[in-house]
Amino acid sequence: MALINFLKPKNQLEEGGRSAALVQRDEGEPEKKCPNCHKDIPLSRLWANRLVCPCGYHFRMKARQRMKMLVDKDSFQELFAGMKAGNPLNFPGYRDKAENIRAASGEEEAVICGTAEIGRQSCCLFIMEPYFMMGSMGSAVGEKITSLFEYAQKQRLPVVGFTVSGGARMQEGLLSLMQMAKTSAAVKRHSDAGLLYLAVLTDPTTGGVTASFAMEADIILAEPGATVGFAGTRVIEQTTKKSLPKGFQKSEFVLEHGFVDAIVSRLNQRKMLAEILKMHNGG
Amino acid sequence: MFSKILIANRGEIAVRIIRACKEMGVATVAVYSEADKNALHVALADQSYCIGGPEASESYLNENQIISTAILAGAQAIHPGYGFLSENAHFARLCRKNGLVFIGPDAESMERLSDKAVLKELIQKTKLTVIPGTKAVASMEEAKLAAGKIGYPVMLKACAGGGGRGIRLIRAEEDLEEAYLQATSEALSAFGDGSVYLEKYIFPARHVELQMLADEQGNAVCLGDRDCSLQRRNQKLIEETPSPAIGGEQRKRIIALATEAVQKIGYVGAGTLEFLVDRDGNFWFMEMNVRLQVEHTVTEMLTGIDLVKWQIRIAAGIPLNFTQQEIRMKGSAIECRINAGSCGTLEMLHIPGGPSVRFDTHLIAGTVVSPYYDSLLGKLVVFAKTREETLRKMRASLCELVIDGISTNIEEQLRIVEDDRFTTGNYDLTFMGNR
Repeated sequence: MALINFLKPKNQLEEGGRSAALVQRDEGEPEKKCPNCHKDIPLSRLWANRLVCPCGYHFRMKARQRMKMLVDKDSFQELFAGMKAGNPLNFPGYRDKAENIRAASGEEEAVICGTAEIGRQSCCLFIMEPYFMMGSMGSAVGEKITSLFEYAQKQRLPVVGFTVSGGARMQEGLLSLMQMAKTSAAVKRHSDAGLLYLAVLTDPTTGGVTASFAMEADIILAEPGATVGFAGTRVIEQTTKKSLPKGFQKSEFVLEHGFVDAIVSRLNQRKMLAEILKMHNGG
Repeated sequence: MFSKILIANRGEIAVRIIRACKEMGVATVAVYSEADKNALHVALADQSYCIGGPEASESYLNENQIISTAILAGAQAIHPGYGFLSENAHFARLCRKNGLVFIGPDAESMERLSDKAVLKELIQKTKLTVIPGTKAVASMEEAKLAAGKIGYPVMLKACAGGGGRGIRLIRAEEDLEEAYLQATSEALSAFGDGSVYLEKYIFPARHVELQMLADEQGNAVCLGDRDCSLQRRNQKLIEETPSPAIGGEQRKRIIALATEAVQKIGYVGAGTLEFLVDRDGNFWFMEMNVRLQVEHTVTEMLTGIDLVKWQIRIAAGIPLNFTQQEIRMKGSAIECRINAGSCGTLEMLHIPGGPSVRFDTHLIAGTVVSPYYDSLLGKLVVFAKTREETLRKMRASLCELVIDGISTNIEEQLRIVEDDRFTTGNYDLTFMGNR
């Protein structure tokens, strides 16, 4: 009995999704456990997915890793690389701590600044470094960010910034707090010049950084599940003597309450930032 | 989306998967044994390869042959269907090692969830209730103690058992010693492993299962329940959704618990949670099937959701685009499995039709039903707004279904759907004379 020769329907391939298997891992390759889905994910697979677990959990990223995944190839030109903290208050142990962290993280400070292109749109870019004293803002971080906004204002460039911070750097006391005012002033002058500032809040963005330049952007985006707040939940509960609602200070909660404009997965950030920059440039 | 998928199966499920692929614009590769060279799934696929002799071990269970064929044919993914390699973690791992996507859960999940002890522990951490029981008991004394704690009657089961073998019902403590000795020795000779465990005997009970779908992003939904209590020797004959034994509030509750459980255990893909439901309406978790089920059809008819397409989409990393609230579960769907009573050659086939009448089959004129594979010829599935109308439709459709040349169970199915116990929904696992 001969096989029936069926006609073949001309249906276009459905769009979306992967067209092949994810990058294969080697036997014995290190894995990272996702705190959300509890699965062990091979590092190569995580890296291929921009340090986002298949379940959607966004792992913390080093500033330069984020920069490489975000900007057009070889377009990042670093500015103010030499700026680093002194020890203005002679805070005990601060100098040594900072030196150790420099050696471990490979960074001089808790933020990298520069110019870059994202989807062929020029911008000034700052990305905070979570592995440098938890992205805390001291004089050097404040000076770098201020200088970047001043540079952007002169060059008439938009600013794109990625925040991650535990807040002001307590080892520099009032000088750290002063950076809140200094950066805010620079942001204001840049804004008055008619220029765009776009911030992406990553996990966690707290304290003096939230209370200053992080929340002063024209468009505020956030990564899924990021903690965004000022004071910590424990302090709030102890002060108010009230228990906090579910999901408090998560970016989704903050979105619901009108403090961020949109939540954007890391997988879509490059495209969205490029589109916003293009629209702002009149493209 | 994958541009080409290899279907590592045969029969009606291979046809089903190929149909889904055709709708999605995905090219298909069929594999077949020498006994299946004229099969419908071979004719329907874009490419087909003979992979071995008629014995399943030579062909449909031949992992290396299947992987080589997928690579040769340029497929990116393999759909394993049900049975054969669909719950084989070794095969899933082999796919991954060779850069192929296995359309199903990953190997590690499969291993976790197929180990009854591990699964029970995982489920115990959710809010679902597991059938009270033990791990393998080391001695008669331990068995006595455990049985006393669980409460008689208890089931004594072989750890390595299956197919209804190595199971003993123990009604009282005085019966335990003899049963323990018999069960351990039977298990040793049948499975090479004499270890046994105890479980509470839930009786009378209905077999109710929940269809789950979960994506990589952690979204999970439940597409409703299926009542599969009509079984003979653990082989399902008729399935329906929704179960006539489950009330609205009960259903809502178990769906919420099951969805939460699936998310908690991090499952990805289509899966089924199986329960025994006792006379008081309590759901006792039995096990999880990490593959598509034969009776997925009734769920598709009820909800309008194509489960095979969603298995493929989830495997490609596409998130679910609907929520639990958007799933329609109104109406009633019933499936009658049509099985061959003997081998033979199909001489004449007439398939019933009309609104919401579906017959999933691999039969075409001239099909030879061989002794090598299971006896399922096809699945007659009907849907209507009410259970009463569905029963009418099933009776009419069964009467119109003609399969000449091969003896079938059509008449037996007709008797069941005319039986008062079935029509009133008042049936359980004892219907076909089981325990």
